[in-house]
Amino acid sequence: MEQQILRLPAEKLFEEELNALIKAEKDPIPAGWRMSPRSVKTYICGGKVGKTVITPKYIGHERLVEIAIATLVTDRALLLIGEPGTAKSWLSEHLTAAINGDSSRVIQGTAGTTEEQIRYSWNYAMLIANGPSETAMLKSPVFTAMEDGAIARVEEISRCASEVQDTLISLLSEKRVSVPELNMEVPAKKGFSIIATANTRDKGVNDMSAALKRRFNIVVLPSPETLDAEMEIVRTRVSQLSEGLSLNAALPKDAVIEKVCTIFRELRRGETLDKKQKVKAPSGVLSTAEAISLLCNSMALAGSFGSGDITDEDIAAGLQGAVVKDEQSDKIAWKEYLENVMKKRGSSWSGLYKACRELNE
Amino acid sequence: MSGVNFFGIRHLSPAGGFFLEKYLDEIRPECVLIEAPCDFEDVLSDIVRSETKPPFAILAYTKEPPVRTILYPFAEYSPEYRAILWAHKNGVPVRFTDLPSETFLALGEAKSEEDKIPEENREPNVYEKLDIQSGEGSHETFWERALEHCADFSGYHDGSNLFGAEIRSFSSKNDEDFAELQLREVFMRSRLRKAAVEFSPEKIVVVTGSYHVEGLKNWEEAETLPEFPKTESLHTLMPYSYYRLSTCSGYGAGNKAPAYYELIWNGLERGEPLYAANAYLTKIAAFQRENGFAASSAQVIEALRLACSLAKMRGGEIPVLRDLRDAAETCLGEGSFAAISTATADTEIGTKIGELPEGVSRTSIQDDFYRELKELKLEKYRTVTAQDVKLDLRENRRASSEKSAFLDLNRSFFLHKLRMLDIGFAEKRAVQQDGATWAEMWTLRWTPEAEIRLVESALRGDTVELAASFALKERVENAAAMSDIAEVIENAFLCGMSAALQYAVSALQATAVDAVSFEELAKTAFRLSNIIGYGDIRKVDNSALEPILKQIYYRACLILPNTCVCDDAAAKPIAEAVNMLNSAELSRDFLDTEYWLNALSEVARRDDLNTVLSGFAAAILLERSKITNEELKIEVSRRLSKGVPAELGAGWFEGLTMKNRYGLIARLSLWESVDEYINSLDDEEFKRALVFLRRAFADFSAAEKDSIAENLGEIWGLNGAEVSEVVNAELDTASQEQIAALDDFDFDF
Repeated sequence: MEQQILRLPAEKLFEEELNALIKAEKDPIPAGWRMSPRSVKTYICGGKVGKTVITPKYIGHERLVEIAIATLVTDRALLLIGEPGTAKSWLSEHLTAAINGDSSRVIQGTAGTTEEQIRYSWNYAMLIANGPSETAMLKSPVFTAMEDGAIARVEEISRCASEVQDTLISLLSEKRVSVPELNMEVPAKKGFSIIATANTRDKGVNDMSAALKRRFNIVVLPSPETLDAEMEIVRTRVSQLSEGLSLNAALPKDAVIEKVCTIFRELRRGETLDKKQKVKAPSGVLSTAEAISLLCNSMALAGSFGSGDITDEDIAAGLQGAVVKDEQSDKIAWKEYLENVMKKRGSSWSGLYKACRELNE
Repeated sequence: MSGVNFFGIRHLSPAGGFFLEKYLDEIRPECVLIEAPCDFEDVLSDIVRSETKPPFAILAYTKEPPVRTILYPFAEYSPEYRAILWAHKNGVPVRFTDLPSETFLALGEAKSEEDKIPEENREPNVYEKLDIQSGEGSHETFWERALEHCADFSGYHDGSNLFGAEIRSFSSKNDEDFAELQLREVFMRSRLRKAAVEFSPEKIVVVTGSYHVEGLKNWEEAETLPEFPKTESLHTLMPYSYYRLSTCSGYGAGNKAPAYYELIWNGLERGEPLYAANAYLTKIAAFQRENGFAASSAQVIEALRLACSLAKMRGGEIPVLRDLRDAAETCLGEGSFAAISTATADTEIGTKIGELPEGVSRTSIQDDFYRELKELKLEKYRTVTAQDVKLDLRENRRASSEKSAFLDLNRSFFLHKLRMLDIGFAEKRAVQQDGATWAEMWTLRWTPEAEIRLVESALRGDTVELAASFALKERVENAAAMSDIAEVIENAFLCGMSAALQYAVSALQATAVDAVSFEELAKTAFRLSNIIGYGDIRKVDNSALEPILKQIYYRACLILPNTCVCDDAAAKPIAEAVNMLNSAELSRDFLDTEYWLNALSEVARRDDLNTVLSGFAAAILLERSKITNEELKIEVSRRLSKGVPAELGAGWFEGLTMKNRYGLIARLSLWESVDEYINSLDDEEFKRALVFLRRAFADFSAAEKDSIAENLGEIWGLNGAEVSEVVNAELDTASQEQIAALDDFDFDF
């Protein structure tokens, strides 16, 4: 059976590591947790326990992980914010896997998420047959997390409508759900908390109210720290994706990946990698995920209409679409980048420069 | 134990200051030895005066240029300062134990730049190793967490001594400063032996960096002192600022967060261990509120809880600065440090400036100033009567030495630097001869205020040059508009300061990306082009300006067409800016002419832009012979054709005549087209066109009108003089009435 599951939850996938950490625990464990905050950090950032090697799950900003864990110790809710593709959900899944051994208490936020999905709803057949009772209740993941003193996850909280977000405000400040139909109140056990994730720059997200934000400790997850880290992510993801899509093209060479990542990083940060020159940032996000799809697109172009090897023209076409989202200002920013930065990069860049330049005549 | 009482400290450590006072109260020594250059003892009497308010510093500097300095800053909580105050209160003598400053300066001289091991090959020193080992990112955080929040005296005393001993054992003989440290300890031991002759060892307290405690313990063994190098130097007390403290990095010399450490000091005095944490977060919240951001008390409480739990993860009870700042970022800044960065700078660094009694300071910048005056033969101008100086910046070829050949140029550099520091000694005057980049006029006058300003400038740097470069950097940072930075570049150029010039250029490059207004870009380009125009008369390398000018120029060319969508009122300044950019482009060969001509042609060609500007663009192209007579004729008839609203046509014509009038007047074909246009209008249309054409010709001079009349005469086959008489004549009453009637003309049809 198990082989058919596309993706196992984190606590199953890394069961051995978790058990090793629990076994070797020496520090005090907060109520409702399975291990000490320090061990949680080891689980996320990697390390060694006895003979077991703990693989790092989140590479880069260890201090941010520390802040996230310390937040959960204080019974505050945690909000992870970042651009698409910065491992927000990944981190939240592994945090709950380590703290509770259960990452399945999830509400996946959409524009259609309702208040009932956050609090509780009813099994209407039983409700009509027997009247309101606890057995007729359908409890939400947040509800059960309160009962068990565990952590619930709310994914993409900013996609939920504002009234649904509002439901969380009183839940988080009073730490109890009231069920007026049964005239009862369920207080949260120690250990209850919420980890929410939200996108900063995206279409179709609702602004979060100040009242709700105030109930969270906010941790902003940044883009990959170094060019090498980003290239590594792009390289692996592109090869995984292209296998599944059978694109009939050779994988992009490292030089090509480096060029694309360099351009993306420079435009995203608004300065060249050597920090000597500022450049104008275009309106788009230019996330790592977009770099991946750009390269896959170029491969599709090369495979379907070209020789199978990615050419500068294929990349230029992709870049044009990725960078120039808003006709006027982005185009000026892109042309300036071409003239002031790319043109001066020497012969290895000149092919790409010319191809890009042609599209902007 | 040798009997002498050692107290290992860290400079600028509040807990050290606090526990040292307790320690002194307990031991009640008869003599206090402090680790500071022994020749500084003469300023002790000034330090304890009631008018002296920390932060202040003892500054030693070499007499001869290049000026090198060493600095001993003191804050209110510096252990050394607390010890000095304690000794003064209890009538106990203070001795300084370290090498004299002249030796320190001589040692620094020996360490020339070439001897330094390049950054990448150098072995990390012990503090850098600690940065990595502690897992805290910095040894300062490690120290604060381990010792600054000690609950009791013995914890701090033992901990600090242990820290010093450990650091010592990890230091290696290969460390750059190892030899110097050995030398210092030899000297300190000798000072200790000397003191022990006068006082019984049990009644001596030695306040020294914790590193040295181990090295001084065997002070009793007699040893021969080596020869110490010396260089002539002077020293003085000077007022200091928390800002300066925070910018000097490295152990002992500075402190990244002097205002925060003052909070720790206050907390120790109050006996509240969490005082600094509370005060820090509350101050940040208060600062945010004052500046219009939301920051509630609830957020402060949450931040404090988070900081405490971060501290707990590290095994501490009291949060340190790093925890507090991260907690503030998370809870008060909603995850973004940028949101609270100003508040944290204000809370951690602060703006405190020390005070000294009048007349105490004799700083190195004062010395440098007088030395420069002498060198540049300007001493005779240091009087209260104003005197004029005329400078000729060109090389004096009859001069015997290079120095005197460029005397006036160096004078100019110096006076411009003083101008940057607002010292008010020299005032620049306009030069009679226009465009003479080699001549300058100055009025010099000395006032007591100038002296005060000079002392104040000591906070910016040790020499006039350094202070001026600091002032220029400040101006760059405070610049609101791009052309402000261009002004700094010009100033740096006038001061002959290449490094500051380079700094301003990169700042300009950074703003050039965001600046959107064409006018701003054109103005900046014009300025830069002018600076380049100075050529090498000032012997300053301005090659860095070329790429940035290119970039600004290119951007200006790109945005020009869209800028021309505007009303007539806005068109005037834009036309001026276009003119500026045009002259910048003409005078600098390295700018790609094609970009500019393309932009101009687009503006001239398009019908949806401001017509005055379109006309003006055409005028420039015409002037640069990029439009042939034939093309002009076609364009004139297109712009002035019958269907085009008269105000647009006349506006275009107005733009066309804003530049290069003689060239226009000489073109007969142009006037033929205008004539044709006017003839093609019916009466109503003519009345409309008349209003605008009158405006277009309003500022033509009589002579210009004459020439036009001649042209028209030729076209109509009349005598030019006759036509001119008609054109230039005062209007008769009937015509005036007719024109007045046009005022009521209904333009909206």
